[in-house]
Amino acid sequence: MQTEVWVAITVAAIGTFAMRAVPLLWTQRHFNKHKANNTQAQLPTWIGVLGPLMIAAMLGVSLLPKDASVAGWVATFMGSLMTIVVWRKTKTLGLPVLVGVLVFGVAYAVLV
Amino acid sequence: MTTSTKAVSRSGWQRGLLDALPLLGGYIPVAISFGLIASQAGFSALEATLISLFIYAGASQFLLVAMVASGAPLWLAVSMTMLVNVRHVVYAPNLVPHLSQSRAWPWLMHGLTDQIFALAHTRLAQLEDSDKVSWYTAASLLAWASWVSGTTLGAIAGDTLTQQWPLMDAVMPFALPALFVVLLAPRFSDRLWFFTLSVTILSALLLAMTVVKNAAIPLAALAGGLTFYLLNKPQHKPEPPHAN
Repeated sequence: MQTEVWVAITVAAIGTFAMRAVPLLWTQRHFNKHKANNTQAQLPTWIGVLGPLMIAAMLGVSLLPKDASVAGWVATFMGSLMTIVVWRKTKTLGLPVLVGVLVFGVAYAVLV
Repeated sequence: MTTSTKAVSRSGWQRGLLDALPLLGGYIPVAISFGLIASQAGFSALEATLISLFIYAGASQFLLVAMVASGAPLWLAVSMTMLVNVRHVVYAPNLVPHLSQSRAWPWLMHGLTDQIFALAHTRLAQLEDSDKVSWYTAASLLAWASWVSGTTLGAIAGDTLTQQWPLMDAVMPFALPALFVVLLAPRFSDRLWFFTLSVTILSALLLAMTVVKNAAIPLAALAGGLTFYLLNKPQHKPEPPHAN
């Protein structure tokens, strides 16, 4: 591959890392400053709200089945429903995901 | 492996690995697809693997490879990659209140993908300070390793794999929405968050079906933010006039 392409990939890699790490350093500095002054540091409200919203947006995007047929949509609905049902019963992380994937897989295999 | 604050006897490393396991269902098939597409675009298996190793940001990698392969100007390819990844800017500040004191955190942010953020945002608050670095390191390393090895596998044998197990390819990615459902479920606790999250999820789903798929996440978050603001706005009703 040409050198210029590697330069582009390196810039993209450094830029992506910076977007993940630099805001951490800024926020840590803000929190440490408050700590030194014995005051309570708080995140700006919009950042605190944006966190759960980003997760919700990722959920919405990931709900679009790879196979957007009726089988894909019905399996997605059933898998999601069973994930919620098992979560309500167990309040655990792993089991609801496992059951959700299994129900999705069985429903998809039967319907497709 | 609970989503409650109940203490668990496993070490941070073990818990991190266990918590990140569901991510593999989503990461490996997508990484295999990336490896396959990169090799079809003219990248060698080593080059595709290095891209996954160093950029490590799903959607933007597909975009970068496609743009480079199509002969687009490199500055444009890099700019678009950064634009797709700009959502990551808000992730780390959300984690800071839950982090322990350690110089390792900035370096560990290389592993802060969408899914690791979602997991860490829920889990870090429940862990002892002494377990936080090990939990995060284990979870993010497992995810990173699966992404990188999936890419290599895809670049070498992606064609064969997707033809042999088409059902697996369609089913495994459901682990991601299932994981997000579990991570968000406890937040549907009051009216404000119920409506805010529902609007965000539905907007994201609808936007993902349109041509603006790559912008679906930030746009849906914006719609959710607006909903939160409107529902949370203090109501200033005019006081009824006093009868004299």
